[in-house]
Amino acid sequence: MTLVRLLWRQRALVAVLVRRELNARYRASVLGFLWSLLNPLLLLAVYAVVFTYIFHPRFPGGDPYPLFLFSGLLPWLFFSGTVLDSSVTLIDNGPLLAKVMCPPEIFPAVTVVSHFVHHLLALPVLLAALVVAALAGWHPFPMTVWLLPVALVPWLLLAGGAALGISALSVKFRDLRDLVGHLLNLLFFSSPIIYSLDGLDAPPWLERILRLNPLASLVEVYRGVVFTGAIPGIRLWLVALAVGLAGWILGALIFVRFRDTLVESV
Amino acid sequence: MKGGLRFEGVRKVYRWRGSRVRHESVKGAVLGSWWRRRRVKAEEHVALDGIDLTIEAGEAVALIGPNGSGKSTLLKLAGGILRPTRGMVDVEGRVTALIELGAGFHPEITGRENVLINGMLLGLSRSEVEARLPEILDFAGIGGFIDQPVKTYSSGMYVRLGFAVAVAVDPDVLLIDEVLSVGDEAFTRRCLDRLAKMRQAGVTMVLVSHDLDLVETFADRAVYLGKGRIRARGTVDSVVARYRSDVAGATEKPAVGGVTRGGIDGEVQRWGSGEVEIVSAELTTTTGATRLVPGGTECRLRIRYRAHRRIEDFVVGVAWHRADGTLVAGHNTDLDGLVPKSIEGEGEVSCTYPALDLAPGDYLVDVAVHAKDGAAYDYWCDAVRFRVTSTVDWPGVWAPFHRWEWDGELFE
Repeated sequence: MTLVRLLWRQRALVAVLVRRELNARYRASVLGFLWSLLNPLLLLAVYAVVFTYIFHPRFPGGDPYPLFLFSGLLPWLFFSGTVLDSSVTLIDNGPLLAKVMCPPEIFPAVTVVSHFVHHLLALPVLLAALVVAALAGWHPFPMTVWLLPVALVPWLLLAGGAALGISALSVKFRDLRDLVGHLLNLLFFSSPIIYSLDGLDAPPWLERILRLNPLASLVEVYRGVVFTGAIPGIRLWLVALAVGLAGWILGALIFVRFRDTLVESV
Repeated sequence: MKGGLRFEGVRKVYRWRGSRVRHESVKGAVLGSWWRRRRVKAEEHVALDGIDLTIEAGEAVALIGPNGSGKSTLLKLAGGILRPTRGMVDVEGRVTALIELGAGFHPEITGRENVLINGMLLGLSRSEVEARLPEILDFAGIGGFIDQPVKTYSSGMYVRLGFAVAVAVDPDVLLIDEVLSVGDEAFTRRCLDRLAKMRQAGVTMVLVSHDLDLVETFADRAVYLGKGRIRARGTVDSVVARYRSDVAGATEKPAVGGVTRGGIDGEVQRWGSGEVEIVSAELTTTTGATRLVPGGTECRLRIRYRAHRRIEDFVVGVAWHRADGTLVAGHNTDLDGLVPKSIEGEGEVSCTYPALDLAPGDYLVDVAVHAKDGAAYDYWCDAVRFRVTSTVDWPGVWAPFHRWEWDGELFE
């Protein structure tokens, strides 16, 4: 696809812009890049307290729950953050698009890459938590962690496609941004992030709907690798990859469709 | 040869430009298609149409014309920022646009980082930017501020750095949109000096400016745009003179406390101080006011005015155009040697044409009352519209009375 080739040619620019994004974000803060580590750590701490001492959700294979939740939440935060930011990235960079000549596809790319960097920075927290849980005997260490890079592929594809499609559409449809927030909420609760699809005590019609959710496969693959410790079935892998690819292609098609007229609408 | 630009049959249509509902919404998209189609049609704006233009490598060409005439759109098409709705734009070589200096700067990061990013956005590689950094810093002259966040810069520093980066990329074509008027005098002089050197090095330049003096000194050629079409082109002196006579030297912006009437999409169709107002203008023949004039008939252009105070310095003028923008004729009381006494209250001025020897087609007449130095009291574009008819479809603009003679039996 030409879009991939265009982006590859701009990789140096994307890298510089990602650094700008990260630099600008941390410039005025004392802790700087530590925030990337601290944010997930605080999140995990809060969950650990709330779900150990206040709520006691029970799912087969869902123990300890804070870790279970965290392993589902991390990729979700990457995805939802990317999608939310991509709905404003072209508009925010409007001056660059309109006054300096630059290819518009770099901006959704920068959004995806900078959120991905954040995700990578949060992974040490997850690994440390897994090690602690293993040492304390709460949860065996998942030996499948080395498969994580593979599990991230469908996430990257889907987030990339979503960023491309939504960034272009949100220029044309200014109210898309609000809509995206609501849709993300809906998607969050219909994905097996705070619960597991196994042993779900829900009416059959609801469970059927939940299983249709394309994001479910991605969440399950990721969690299977970094939490459960069992290599997910080949079918699940393929479904997740297919969802990622479909998301990428759809998003790229939408972006290419609007690419040439973006500048006028920004 | 690098640096050439070519426009062929270029048309650019903006949708939803200058409208109240600026952007389509999801809600709008879901609603009925009938309603949508109507709205879309109503909010189209043709910014440029039928543009054929070739600029040779190394030329300096100025684009002039009133606001809304399509100059900036043409420049953005040349820069590849916009794409033509129809037609072809072909530019050879690296293009840099000086449209808004420092437009891409991010306030939170340092000048040095911004230079790197802007340079790369303009098409340089990382190492190329680093190699040119001393030259950029030298021109910008902002000293130690280069390692401070850009938000701490004064606007002058901002603009200097923006200019320095933009010209450091060694473009083959440089597009300049009014940026020379933003800095102080010293900055403008340095910029001009730099641009002059680049010109000598053979960089093609396309300049958009309202500063006609600058245009005359800077450009070899000029293109005069009006309502999205090329009205005139040629040597810079002749085109600027034409433009000056067309607007009678008036600035596009009304004088302080003046009036601006009419105009769609910010395009001023009528301007002036309003001290003398044109109440009406019409074309009459022996049978009265008309919009349909048979070619060759006698007619009269009647202009009714109202002067709100007594004025002794005034000129009444008209400019005739074809519908495609070609200037057909222009005359005013000053050129015709009439010496003004005073104008006050209401009255009428008329100009008589014994025979309107025009080829068939649609014509527009601008009517103006202005001071002798050109400052408009009321300049009304396209105040009169009419159609000239004829039994024969004469080509051209002039359809004079004429007669053939011959020897022998050449014709029946």
